[in-house]
Amino acid sequence: MKNLFKQPASCSLLLPAAILLLFCTAVFSQQPVPAKPQAKNILIMNATAHLGNGHTIENSVIGFENGKLILVGDATMVRIDKSKYEVVINGYGKHVYPGIIAANTILGLSEIELVRSTLDFTETGTINPDVRALIAYNTDSKVIPTVRSNGVLLAQIVPQGGMISGTSSVVTLDAWNWEDAAYFPDEGVHLNWPSLIIYRRQGAEADDNQKELIEKNISRLRDFFTEAKAYAAAPAPAENLRFEAMKGLFAGTKKLYLHAGYAKEIISAVNFAKEFGVQAVIVGGRDSWMLTDFLKENKVPVILGRTHALPGREDEDTDLPYKLPFLLRQAGVPFCVSVDGYWQVRNLAFNAGTAAGYGLSKEEALMSVTLDAAKILGIDKTAGSLEEGKEATLILSSGDILNMESCNIEYAFINGRQIDLGSIQAELYRKYKERYGLK
Amino acid sequence: MRVREVRGAVNNYNPYLHTEISYFRFPVLILMQIPRISFLLLLLPAAVSISFAQQTFPVNGVHDERHTVFAFVNATIAVDYKTITDSASMTVRDGIILEAGRSISIPPGAVVIDLKGKYIYPSFIDLYSDYGMPEVKKPVPPADGSPQLLSGTRGAYGWNQAIKPETDAINLFTADPKKADELRKLGFGTVMTHYKDGIARGTAVLAALSDEKENTSVMKDRAAACYSFDKGSSAQEYPSSLMGVIALIRQTHLDAQWYKGNAGKEEYNISLDAWNKNAVLPQVFETGDKLSALRAAKIGKEFGVKYIIKGAGDEYQRLAELQAAGNSFIIPLSFPAPYDVEDPYDALQVPLGDMKHWEMAPLNPAAMEKARIPFALTAADLKDKKDFLKNIRKAIENGLSEQQALRALTVTPAEMLNLSGTIGSLKNGMTASFIITSGKIFDADNVILENWVQGKRYSAAGLDAPELRGSYELQVKNLPLLKLRAAGDFLNPSFFAGEDTAKNPVTFSRMGNLISLQFEIKKSSFSGQVRLSGYIEKDGLWKGEGETGAGEKISWTARRTAPYIPVAKKDTARKEKDIAGTLSFPNKAFGWKEIPPQETVLIKNATVWTNEKEGVLRNSDVLVSGGKIKMIGPGLEASPEYKSGGYALTAKVIDGTGLHLTPGIIDEHSHIAISRGVNEGTQAVTSEVRIGDVVNSDDINIYRQLAGGVTTSHLLHGSANPIGGQTQLIKLRWGFSPEKMKFEDADGFIKFALGENVKQANWGDKNVIRFPQTRMGVEQVYMDAFTRAREYRMAWDKYNSLSGKGRNPSPRKDLELEALSEILAGKRFITCHSYVQSEINMLMHVADSFGFRVNTFTHILEGYKVAGKLKQHGAAASTFSDWWAYKYEVMEAIPYNGAILHNMGIVTGFNSDDAEMGRRLNQEAAKAVKYGNVPEEEALKFVTLNPAVMLHVDDRVGSIRKGKDADLVLWSHDPLSVYARVLKTFVDGRVFFDSDKDAIAREEIRREKARIIRKMIEAKKNGEKTQKPLFIPDDLYHCETLGQP
Repeated sequence: MKNLFKQPASCSLLLPAAILLLFCTAVFSQQPVPAKPQAKNILIMNATAHLGNGHTIENSVIGFENGKLILVGDATMVRIDKSKYEVVINGYGKHVYPGIIAANTILGLSEIELVRSTLDFTETGTINPDVRALIAYNTDSKVIPTVRSNGVLLAQIVPQGGMISGTSSVVTLDAWNWEDAAYFPDEGVHLNWPSLIIYRRQGAEADDNQKELIEKNISRLRDFFTEAKAYAAAPAPAENLRFEAMKGLFAGTKKLYLHAGYAKEIISAVNFAKEFGVQAVIVGGRDSWMLTDFLKENKVPVILGRTHALPGREDEDTDLPYKLPFLLRQAGVPFCVSVDGYWQVRNLAFNAGTAAGYGLSKEEALMSVTLDAAKILGIDKTAGSLEEGKEATLILSSGDILNMESCNIEYAFINGRQIDLGSIQAELYRKYKERYGLK
Repeated sequence: MRVREVRGAVNNYNPYLHTEISYFRFPVLILMQIPRISFLLLLLPAAVSISFAQQTFPVNGVHDERHTVFAFVNATIAVDYKTITDSASMTVRDGIILEAGRSISIPPGAVVIDLKGKYIYPSFIDLYSDYGMPEVKKPVPPADGSPQLLSGTRGAYGWNQAIKPETDAINLFTADPKKADELRKLGFGTVMTHYKDGIARGTAVLAALSDEKENTSVMKDRAAACYSFDKGSSAQEYPSSLMGVIALIRQTHLDAQWYKGNAGKEEYNISLDAWNKNAVLPQVFETGDKLSALRAAKIGKEFGVKYIIKGAGDEYQRLAELQAAGNSFIIPLSFPAPYDVEDPYDALQVPLGDMKHWEMAPLNPAAMEKARIPFALTAADLKDKKDFLKNIRKAIENGLSEQQALRALTVTPAEMLNLSGTIGSLKNGMTASFIITSGKIFDADNVILENWVQGKRYSAAGLDAPELRGSYELQVKNLPLLKLRAAGDFLNPSFFAGEDTAKNPVTFSRMGNLISLQFEIKKSSFSGQVRLSGYIEKDGLWKGEGETGAGEKISWTARRTAPYIPVAKKDTARKEKDIAGTLSFPNKAFGWKEIPPQETVLIKNATVWTNEKEGVLRNSDVLVSGGKIKMIGPGLEASPEYKSGGYALTAKVIDGTGLHLTPGIIDEHSHIAISRGVNEGTQAVTSEVRIGDVVNSDDINIYRQLAGGVTTSHLLHGSANPIGGQTQLIKLRWGFSPEKMKFEDADGFIKFALGENVKQANWGDKNVIRFPQTRMGVEQVYMDAFTRAREYRMAWDKYNSLSGKGRNPSPRKDLELEALSEILAGKRFITCHSYVQSEINMLMHVADSFGFRVNTFTHILEGYKVAGKLKQHGAAASTFSDWWAYKYEVMEAIPYNGAILHNMGIVTGFNSDDAEMGRRLNQEAAKAVKYGNVPEEEALKFVTLNPAVMLHVDDRVGSIRKGKDADLVLWSHDPLSVYARVLKTFVDGRVFFDSDKDAIAREEIRREKARIIRKMIEAKKNGEKTQKPLFIPDDLYHCETLGQP
């Protein structure tokens, strides 16, 4: 407010544009129209900026042009050339954040969990590195707008199933088609590390058979990686699509995402990656808190699953899933928080928020779904935090986005493009409020 | 009635028998030569057919009828478990004890067996055997993969394949000499055996473990009737859950009663007929754990049956409740093996509860004894039957009295079958089934020498088995004097040669008194192989010839120089005095050693969310006493009521400054704390099943929910069928028994379900035959069910209005229709799983047409589309905050649903249907603020007061009001905040979750696990068999969980 009073004139000049923008967000449509490239320079003033790198600016100015952040500063310190901005948004009392980044999702690959024809995330076969999530990513999914309107603007779309599920890509959640959506295409190969847990339950194989199967699967993987590495080292007489898809791993341009939870699985998966000299990321990592030295020594980050989970074992601390992020932070293991699934991803910020109730600071919790996720996914040069020169992918909320009680996103920008926050759900809400005459 | 002549001296029978072991210092003369023969008429119960000749069978060759009298003299005889006499004798003829005791007469012509230093005990009785029974088959479901809806048994039997009381084990019984020999060597002489298949398993047969023709070894047909909670080989769909099994047993009891009163008039039913005939027999019920034992006891109580419960060995964990139930038990000795826990990560898979049970299971028999619960012991469930005696000794080391152990193997099982006059003791006229042992029966180095079954001798170790053990001097011609040592097992000792005896093993074998030894010598004077053959000249002196490795003939002599002194190698891992671990309730991680007491507590200066017209009170106090909320308001300590109530003296004060106090969270839709199956979805209508029968008080999720502020959970049947089972409202009194968790006097509810689940839309292409398969069919299921229920009620009303002869026959009492007619009468209330508007609308129409109201629609994700109709009908809505997209029928679910329903004036709540979400329902409530701007106080009511209203318990819980139950949660922040943590959860004024105590408990769990792991590793080192730690996934139930995973 204080700042606004200082420059009343310039503010009123810009008011019509602001109203226009607000009007846009008020129009609900079942399937929002993807936004056009940023045409006008935008300035958000006086909001509390949560930069995503652990820092905040209580009274901030954030300006962006052509999709890039050109100004991230303290309103009380920075001289602002307001003439540069055609749109000024009053952020007083509000909060600006980098767009949330969702790692490890099947968003756009799954529409209705129990209707098979709407599912595109599990290919048949066990070793499918060549299978690409990107080309199945359905930009027209009705689910995506409901996730986006909670601030998730970038997501890693990951295939599931088999041992090597396929290749993932990072996409933006506002696009006409998957080509538009592609943000970091084909950035990693996903390997479901064979479960080393021997189960006792009805219908389970005898334990010795289970063990044999595990060993067989690991040696199958080893054979495959060995041949793939050899293939990558020299031109082959015949092209092998599976091996082609593996090349990037050995060249260091792709990451190997190792889905593993149990301590021994993590150890054996990481050692496997080390054996082939590839960059590894653990996904899931329920027991990662037991292995922090090992993970640091091997420089392996972790994409944690939901904090909204039950402890995996009866004896574990009741709040272990809640405090898992804190345990890794405390030990200095790089990590991010994810929500596997698709529609559930809209609760990603709240999963991070819960971790803030159990040890993390709020800014650390935010980092775990922004900059730290960007680093693990290899997109931190352009995304993940509010820093000049990075892309203007950000959100403005009237309250704390980590807290469901206060999360209320008013604006979202991807690369400076203002995103329609409508969805089928908002539309149905409007329709029935109207029917009942509710406000 | 059979009359038999038996010779014996009756006038001086049992002169010295005492109730304790008595050792007389003067020699007692056995007057073998006195020809004082008198005649005794002995009456035998007709039921016990102890025949000594197969009279109806032809004989191939010369008849060989014998009536030899065997006289066992100079023995210590346990005439029964408490009457043990030394220097006693016993005479036996024709399979019957003539006499046992001191100064008994030995008839001339008797075969006299001198048992000086040896012992005679009644042989053991095992009531829970499958000896001589055919193997139980695996269920064979229909080959096409479709569900088997009807019984696969053809004929005039009952409707359910798992109810087979018509099975008589006598018809299946064939003696099994190999198994009989194995059991005899453990001391058993008599077993009750039955075909362990099905829920009602028919009758058991009592058989002697002889090698005689079955006609002789069968001692009693139909000795008992047997039951279980396991449907065995039945592939029929119903029942798929434990609660279904219980309902089936209850209904069969009722059907049998009805059948008795209407025999043959309505139908002929072999199974019900047999059920009734079996009712006069001892009733044996097999259970899988202590909670199921309580369940069996409860069924028995309802129908006037005191089941003899075959337990699982974990009874010590719920002893008080079992004691109160008053049943007798058959207890296994299958103590769990220690786990391989050397690898710390592998050890993670073994929960503390399993570790504790490993440590404490050997205490179970002693605990039962201490609680004065009558029990017999069984070798059933032992993987290796050879562990039987070893495990009894373990139980004795852990506090079981020897007398009780012997009773549990002899007289108690005999009493259970009302046969204590025939078996289990060695009194005049009783069956001559006994064992001869080298020492006291439960001593570690005791050896069972012979086992006599029905008067027939069976050798175990053999009466003449020589003592081989000891230290010997071996003199081999031309060789230096050698040392020889034999140690270990009496029958199969290990032999070593030389000074450093452990290093030079000797191969030894014996046949009768012929022996052979082979070993190697490495000495300066001689080096090479030695092979000896010889014989036992007498105890401690062996002689013979042999050969060296060079082929040189040699002669040898071995003389015992010192007797064998057994090294007392006890099971150090699991003795009572070593057990630092204590029983907790439940006996696992986070269990209570002591249940938290109801204390007087003053919570001061907190922000109190009352849910009453007072709203949120800042800086307010709340006083709790006797489990109730007593006072609310600022500065209570200064108030006259506080002072006059004497609270100042007793109240524990909690500083609530900066903290928030709310009513406990109530989850209207939960599936935690349920044993073995949440769905009995095998039929469209299963209103007869009750979640209340299968509450699992051990579920760790109870504690986890408490840690999330939940105090009351409504446990629902799943949503697999249109009319599911009766629900159970519980308070999360962690540590209490299932019955004590139940919310007292709460109205009965029942789960209904609509949509994709009930029409089996997502169950694959095989499940297309159970009606209904469409929403059209669902309506008809309801119309049909309520039409039948109405007619049923009318039939009973008519019957009840009649008197005398007109009342015969009575209508059949039908548990399914009983529950439905309760709905019609407004005494039972519906909570209905529902998604789309059409079906919600439909059910309200059905209800209207039958004149009742649907109390609650649960899930009701399209409730916002029919809000007006809901309001008009008067239904409440218990929905999810933001779930959607997981199936077709939820594609128009919106997170604003709760807000719209609330704003339309409908009692609205958020539920979990999920153990994870259940423990952070406060966060879910906060989503009503986010999606639809519901005021915070109202949003909190979505998970507190509103569900209380729906469940008709708002007079007790749901708000903070004077006089209400002290079910409270103390939070670190505003309860709707994502940052809020639960500090304390009160139920009835007891602090069932306390974050400080929780922190201590975590440390204790770590220490306790470490301690038991040390012991397990020690046990393994001591040679105990181990088991691999295998991961058992939690049984987490949701609406759609089928079967018993």
